[in-house]
Amino acid sequence: MKKSTLIVMAVVVVLFLLSWVLKASALQPEQGSYILRGFLVTFAAFLTLAVMSFLYQDNPFYKFAEHLFVGVSAAFWMCMGFWTTIVQNLIPRLSTSLADYFMVPQRPEGLNLFFYTPVILGILLLMRLSPRGGWISRWPLAFIVGTTAGLNFIRYLRSDFIKQISSTFVPLLGTQWEGIGPFLSNLDLSASGQLVLLLSNWVVFLGVFTGLIYFFFSKEHKGAFGVGSRVGIWILMITFGASFGYTVMGRISLLVGRITFLFGTWLELI
Amino acid sequence: MGKRHWILLGAIVAVIIIAAVLWLFPKERWGTVFSLLLVFGGLVALLLRSLYAKEVERRIIFLFILVAVAAPILFPITFTEKPTAVVQAVFDKIENLPSGSTVLLSFDFDPAMAPEVQPMANAISRHCLEKGHKVIFMSLWATGQALLSQSLSDYILLGFPDKVDGVDYVNIGYKAGNEGVLNVIVSNFEKMFPTDVNSVPLKDIRIFDDIASAKDVDFIMSIGGGMPGPKEWVLFVGDPGDVDVGVGVAAVVAPQMYPYYPAQVIGILGGVKGAAEYEYALKDAYPVFADMDTPGLRMMGPQTLAHIVILSFIVIGNIIYFRGRRERKQ
Amino acid sequence: MKLKLFVVSLVVLLSFSIAFAQEDTLTVPPIPPDSALLPAAVTGLVAKDTDNDHGHAITLKWQPSADDGAGRQSVAMYEVFRWVPDLMTRIPALRDTLEYLKLRTGDGWSPPEPGSRTDSIHNVFASLDDAQLEERKESLEQTISQAIRDLPAAHAAYPEDGDWQQVAVAPAGSATAADVGTKEKDTPDYLPDYSDFYYRVDAVTADPAIRTASEIVGPVQSYGQWFNKGRLAVSVFVLIFGLLTIFFVQHARRGADLYVRPMAGIEAVDDAIGRATEMGRPILYVLGLGTADMIATIASFTILGRVARRVAEYQTKLIVPAYEPVVMAVAQEVVKTAYYDAGRPDDYDEDIVFFVTSLQFAYVAAVNGLMLRELPATNVYMGKFFAESLLLAETGAVAGSIQIAGTDEIAQIPFFIVACDYTLIGEELYAASAYLGREPILLGSLKAQDWAKAGVIALAVAGLALSNLAVAYDWSWASSIVDFFRVVD
Repeated sequence: MKKSTLIVMAVVVVLFLLSWVLKASALQPEQGSYILRGFLVTFAAFLTLAVMSFLYQDNPFYKFAEHLFVGVSAAFWMCMGFWTTIVQNLIPRLSTSLADYFMVPQRPEGLNLFFYTPVILGILLLMRLSPRGGWISRWPLAFIVGTTAGLNFIRYLRSDFIKQISSTFVPLLGTQWEGIGPFLSNLDLSASGQLVLLLSNWVVFLGVFTGLIYFFFSKEHKGAFGVGSRVGIWILMITFGASFGYTVMGRISLLVGRITFLFGTWLELI
Repeated sequence: MGKRHWILLGAIVAVIIIAAVLWLFPKERWGTVFSLLLVFGGLVALLLRSLYAKEVERRIIFLFILVAVAAPILFPITFTEKPTAVVQAVFDKIENLPSGSTVLLSFDFDPAMAPEVQPMANAISRHCLEKGHKVIFMSLWATGQALLSQSLSDYILLGFPDKVDGVDYVNIGYKAGNEGVLNVIVSNFEKMFPTDVNSVPLKDIRIFDDIASAKDVDFIMSIGGGMPGPKEWVLFVGDPGDVDVGVGVAAVVAPQMYPYYPAQVIGILGGVKGAAEYEYALKDAYPVFADMDTPGLRMMGPQTLAHIVILSFIVIGNIIYFRGRRERKQ
Repeated sequence: MKLKLFVVSLVVLLSFSIAFAQEDTLTVPPIPPDSALLPAAVTGLVAKDTDNDHGHAITLKWQPSADDGAGRQSVAMYEVFRWVPDLMTRIPALRDTLEYLKLRTGDGWSPPEPGSRTDSIHNVFASLDDAQLEERKESLEQTISQAIRDLPAAHAAYPEDGDWQQVAVAPAGSATAADVGTKEKDTPDYLPDYSDFYYRVDAVTADPAIRTASEIVGPVQSYGQWFNKGRLAVSVFVLIFGLLTIFFVQHARRGADLYVRPMAGIEAVDDAIGRATEMGRPILYVLGLGTADMIATIASFTILGRVARRVAEYQTKLIVPAYEPVVMAVAQEVVKTAYYDAGRPDDYDEDIVFFVTSLQFAYVAAVNGLMLRELPATNVYMGKFFAESLLLAETGAVAGSIQIAGTDEIAQIPFFIVACDYTLIGEELYAASAYLGREPILLGSLKAQDWAKAGVIALAVAGLALSNLAVAYDWSWASSIVDFFRVVD
């Protein structure tokens, strides 16, 4: 190890201990376990800074934080999966004694042998771990893929397809067309007015129309079709731009959350 | 003029500016003004450099963002937020439901997403309780349940000491199964949630006296941004059960929710901006909430400054790119 | 004298029996003294099974009372009554007892609070021992299930042993109401199918005592329907789309040449391989985080096959780090086949495709490290990507590689677009795979989708025109076509 690395390490350790001591003494002792809470706040701040240090360059602190995160989240999800799926959803339907052992309430509908089916399928799925019996896991997998596809197909077809088609049936000429004269005289230019509404309706219609043209693969994009496709890709790009802008906002919010933690909970500056 | 002269000139200008600020502004504004000067001064300097096609190091950009975000947190800057139609729609829905209606709030997020969506979850919960609606809290995310219980006890219920668990609100917690959970509760709550988080059987909870399924709820608000989340609520409950659904989403997925508005979702709160607008509408309508903590509105200061910095860097980057291209051509 | 006594006693008896009879039918309110105040009864009452449901519900329709909104304007609301056999009212009470017995025989039993409802049941059973309780519980369970089985018969016994119960309320001015029960046998509002129900509707004034009952209708039975006609549009689309897919897949299998337009991203792959060869640097191919059963990953395999073949021909180096063991196994197979097809089986190396880890960010860290060490000339990202998309693409851009991406994760496309040179957007990824692989199933479904899209365009334009014209010229037939797309549940 280089000397400079050792010095940095030592400084970080000293700062950590200092923060722990100061934080623990700042917390009210009457609430109890202030040494532990002081440690937790300091450790959280250390992890935040360790991850942020990646922006300068890759370093051991970042690697430590990353590996810790990966390990903890893997363990957390495993426990969560066991307690919420197996213990809470399955066991109360299978066995009274097991339900009593795990202290979960019995289901009102009572025990049902039907629920042994998912147990068997689950065990078959685990056969994936076996080098020779791996092929068996394809059967439950086929069941999962098949049922989800069937379930989602109807839902998506209705919500994302048919309802979306009917949503494009928007008034393009206003709610009541009485000729060009009344139309112009009733024109309202405010943000919630008729003109803006009509414009957005036109954008919806043209967006759907040209977007579909762009994703039409059976015809080369030339001539009028090419123009439609170009408008389509422009509209797609504007959508992605909006999405990107929103993402920037989201990421800044997360940064604000972290900095508020550092300045507020840890350093108590605000 | 040599390098030394430049440094001297810079120092003199800096001293003059500092003196001017100290003289012109009251003491409590110094922090804000200095941090703004630092950010904008730096941006102008980089802009001037960019005219000579000098590239900016990545870390400089990170530093600017850090300052732009940190400064308004230390020295708060707030803006007024006029609610947009999509946010107002959710507000009006909750406002216009007769008092005593049942509202279901689903906290479908984890700690990583919380800074973005927690403010709106808190604001909407408070609005529902203040309006006298009966609120069913739940979560489709395992990590959401802890957040839900914590925010109920630490923030939301603090302002409502006389609300009774099981009568005015109930927390039925989390159940594993993602959209499968939704598929069941659209016809029967009790099958999926036999008890609430305190192990009280659902049939002993008064809110559920005339609520058998999610169809019987007057309004559903899903707050989240991942999978399962708002979109699944629309697909598996809102559309098939014909229930009004509103969504509060992390900014990343907000554009994907717009196609469902207004036919399938009645309103959208997108990211912190949506939360800030909602908080503003709430404060505007209820004097009770005048002193309410408004994290959404508070976050808009850092947001605005950070966005200005990012926009400036887009301009600077483009100038560098086109300058560089012209120089290469020559 | 005897006769007088007889008549008097008869009258007394009769009045008693009337009083008793009235006692029995308490839910029917007493007739108000001034019959002139009574509202007119509803007429034309019809009860029918509710359509498009799973049964357990009855819809009622009627003509509003003559005094509703007209005449004396005295009707405030309508109350719907159903004749309910006593057996049905008894079941909830039996169930309460059963619930008590279950708690009592289970663990963690504690005596109820004095004076509560459970306490009154407890008083009856307090002295029994465990065996007796168990016996009672079992017999009660049998009684309840027998009672539920007997419900249709009890309904058929109308008007013996039963009573009228209010089941729905409708505001004044309405001419329809529904009596919706559940199919769950163990809930209080269970409504048995195929049982004879009798209904009547009362026109009620502001004073609930002043009301007029309608004629009784019945018997009517509820039952479930096989088809929900409200969702006809969905089934029509499923059928059309399914048939189109089958048709085109068969068409492609028979060797028909189905045209797919060329895509810029795919053309770029060949150029990029050429560039890598010239520079003597490797090509990195990332299959994403999807599992082997996801369409995006399957499409990516096809593209990987094409890339690997070109790489084998040009004798360039290929690196494929895998995220999932199954994906790795399939990818190895794909690359091996490509090398054989290119006629260079000797150049194939087992380590071209290798497993990294199944943890998202750990995988990213590993691939990023690879990019910075190996400096590939070209990075190809095809498949399912999540939060790691920008981390990968940005590092690749910093390393100066040409980057081509494709994913169907809409949320990640913007990141690829800003950080990569070419991006296949959403469905283009599947199309690219069909274009390269000429696999009948992929090609056929792509064609079917194209037709579906053309159909959507046509429907959208036609529907839009119709809905606009329907509003402008008040055409009812046009709006009925438009209504076809409004799926009802």
